[in-house]
Amino acid sequence: MTSHHRKGGVLAILAGAALILAGCSTAGAGPATDNPVEGGTITVAIDGDPSSQFDIHVTAADISALVLRNVFDSLVVQDTDGSIQPWLAESWEVSDDGLEYTFQLKEDVTFSDGEPFNADAVKANFDHIADPETASQYAAALLGGDAYAGTEAVDADTVKVSFTRPFAPFLQGASTAYLGFYSPKVLEESPDKLIAGGPGITVGTGPFILESVVAGQDITLTKNPDYNWGPANATHSGAAHPDELVYRILPENAVRAGALTSGEVDVASNVSPNDVPALEVDGTVSVTGTGTPGLPYSIFLNHSKGVFQDKLVRQAFQQGIDIGSAVTAVYGGEYDRAWSVLGPTTPNAYDPTVEGSWEYDEDLANQLLDDAGWTERDTDDYRTKDGVRLSAEWPSYSAPREDRKSLIDAFQADLKKIGFELNPNPLDGGAYIESLYGGTYDIADWSFVRPEGDILRLHLYSGFAPVQNASFVNDPELDDLLVTASESTDPDERKKIYSEVQHWAIEDAAIVPIYVPSHIIGVSSTIGGVRADITGWPLLYDAWTSRQP
Amino acid sequence: MAAAVRRLDKQATLTQPVVLRGRVGAAFALYLPRLVGAFIVVWGASSLAFLVLHIVPGDPVDIMLGVQSQVSEGVRQNIREELGLTQPVLLQYVGYLGKLVTGEFGMSYRLQKPVIDVIGEQIMPTLQLAGLSIVFAVVLALGISLAARGRVARAVASLVELIAISSPTFWTGLLLLTVFSFQLHWFPISGGQGLNALVLPALTLALPIAGILSQVLRHGLEGTETQPFVDSSRARGLSFSQLLARHTLRHAALPAVTLAAYIVGSLLGGAVIIEQLFGRPGIGRVTLEAINNRDIPIVMAIVIFAALVFVVVNLIVDAVAPLLDPRLRGAR
Repeated sequence: MTSHHRKGGVLAILAGAALILAGCSTAGAGPATDNPVEGGTITVAIDGDPSSQFDIHVTAADISALVLRNVFDSLVVQDTDGSIQPWLAESWEVSDDGLEYTFQLKEDVTFSDGEPFNADAVKANFDHIADPETASQYAAALLGGDAYAGTEAVDADTVKVSFTRPFAPFLQGASTAYLGFYSPKVLEESPDKLIAGGPGITVGTGPFILESVVAGQDITLTKNPDYNWGPANATHSGAAHPDELVYRILPENAVRAGALTSGEVDVASNVSPNDVPALEVDGTVSVTGTGTPGLPYSIFLNHSKGVFQDKLVRQAFQQGIDIGSAVTAVYGGEYDRAWSVLGPTTPNAYDPTVEGSWEYDEDLANQLLDDAGWTERDTDDYRTKDGVRLSAEWPSYSAPREDRKSLIDAFQADLKKIGFELNPNPLDGGAYIESLYGGTYDIADWSFVRPEGDILRLHLYSGFAPVQNASFVNDPELDDLLVTASESTDPDERKKIYSEVQHWAIEDAAIVPIYVPSHIIGVSSTIGGVRADITGWPLLYDAWTSRQP
Repeated sequence: MAAAVRRLDKQATLTQPVVLRGRVGAAFALYLPRLVGAFIVVWGASSLAFLVLHIVPGDPVDIMLGVQSQVSEGVRQNIREELGLTQPVLLQYVGYLGKLVTGEFGMSYRLQKPVIDVIGEQIMPTLQLAGLSIVFAVVLALGISLAARGRVARAVASLVELIAISSPTFWTGLLLLTVFSFQLHWFPISGGQGLNALVLPALTLALPIAGILSQVLRHGLEGTETQPFVDSSRARGLSFSQLLARHTLRHAALPAVTLAAYIVGSLLGGAVIIEQLFGRPGIGRVTLEAINNRDIPIVMAIVIFAALVFVVVNLIVDAVAPLLDPRLRGAR
């Protein structure tokens, strides 16, 4: 959702040149040892500023969750294979009707302000999230929204979360930082300071403690020496290795890459695909990318107005753009072309049989438009029907990023060949939001990271239009399927439904998936033990640095 | 921002003091109209900003929450009511002015912090950046304009100035970073690592300003040096440096000083880009975020701040100009 990449082209070229030159220099100390080293500071370059978005129960910002994952623990952890494993909850049981989740909590867990973590703390946090006063932007939805009935402390270490109707995505939601736990004392004493956050306010049970925040510059965390309750999938137990974690806010892609090769930072998050070749040449840095689960970067075709009301026109659009070539040309192989409305790493939901089922086909696209009655041509060689040109408007939030603009240009050229006019329309923030809420656009576009098939409900269920269901899909049968999947406690049934929905989405051409974004992490060779979580974000709990003061 | 700022500058210069004669309360008579003018500029700027923010499309709460949030309409409505956005615009305006009079800028919608605190926390980094940039710009401009003697040197200076003025700040900054930070490791990218970290951002911001200043100074010097009084001064035995210090530079500096408002505009506008590029905190970054998120109280406070800065700068220029050019003192 960031939109500050206007000069991406120039940037990429400059950065490339810079990195190749910088490759001649050496950065810092020798390579990381295989065995963890205690102490030192790990500096991580991030692309956004989480300050003022510190309340994880309120914010929907990725960057807040990425940084505050170190401060807030969750009941459970989702491993990279999608399995849910113990964390603050030792074990859990789901009632047969799917309405009650009973968690057995670990004992002797404390918040960094000394408060005990127990069933009452879980209740205080979940009730805080569900409270309308909190105005939660994301966590409340992960907690089931209006399906959340309440939390009950059965005894000190047993807590029961209840729902008014089954809500299967709950465990995945419970693994996210958004459903992490504040010290109940903070919730009690300073609920109005949580958004601004800061030391003494942003207090959790995590392996790191928030030490200081300089808005727009950096966030410093220090090790929690008492930490002894890491997630089941961690590679070590006990306190974190480094004494200090520093997140540096460097919004420009080229600057993050340059800071990494010059040794000013140890880890760079969300590296641009354009910077990857130069980083790989560098030799002091390793680069790993993880395809993000959830909704890939996709184009939503608005069913509620204009040319896309006709399914044939939607299908012609879908078949008439050469997505594979465009994605390869723009991202140089760093991002894969998307075949489905779910990314391949979305656990227990992705259906690979969609792959290859809808290749670029100019002839078929032409045929579909002929069938739809767009047979006349105007002086510019665009198709017309009843004197109206076949044309679609694609508004964007300010000028699109360089890479997105290249994609739009490629699609515009493809569509011109079949007589279909594509009109990109950059708008200012207010006008863009108004266009989204008013449903006045023909095309909208974004991606949404979430390792859970339920993301399809958010984008296809009739009740989520306008905005998230940006295609204005309104199909009662589909609604039933999506609700059934969200309520089912049977993983096989859920997978079957999501498979059906993925095929339906392609057939209906409701959402045209374009590419699977990848969260690319660059790590200096002086750093060991950095893992990526299932969304591709860097996890620092197990990491260590061989560059000691 | 920059456009608004330039408009303000015009307004500020339009409110020239009324010339009053008489010794009694001369200073008061001189400055009262200026202060009234300043007040009108600030009031006008804030009213205009208020109006613009309320007539542009898009609901502030929807914009603030963004596309990816999942917030029910009921909660959205609660937020609107809490922020007072459901009241008639006129009522909001009156309430807003009332608060301003009592020095209350309100709470930031998004940051949930008093606006005064937000600006207070972020103003120092921007002032440091702007301060060092001015120093760099003046030193560079003086250096170039004094060094550029003779036809070839002038042509070179002219080219250098043109490049400095027309290169996008963003590009210059990245180039400086690439060479001096990524490769040579002379300077850190930025951050709180002291003066060292301020050099590259300040230099980036200073270059276009230095270009303009140098152009103006050079033309001033060249123009002045052909004046007959220069010949007579030289005939009186003044050395070149004496001449420069006492006469020609003073003549040349006057047009440069009147550019002060333009320079302040460049600094404020440039800070937005510099702070983003170098990952620095500051007012520019706050402004950008506030505009993107339609954080009306912050935007309003920054507009008022900018208007105040322009008013003060123009008052200072008015006060300094007669010191540089005695002919202007007659106007009193």
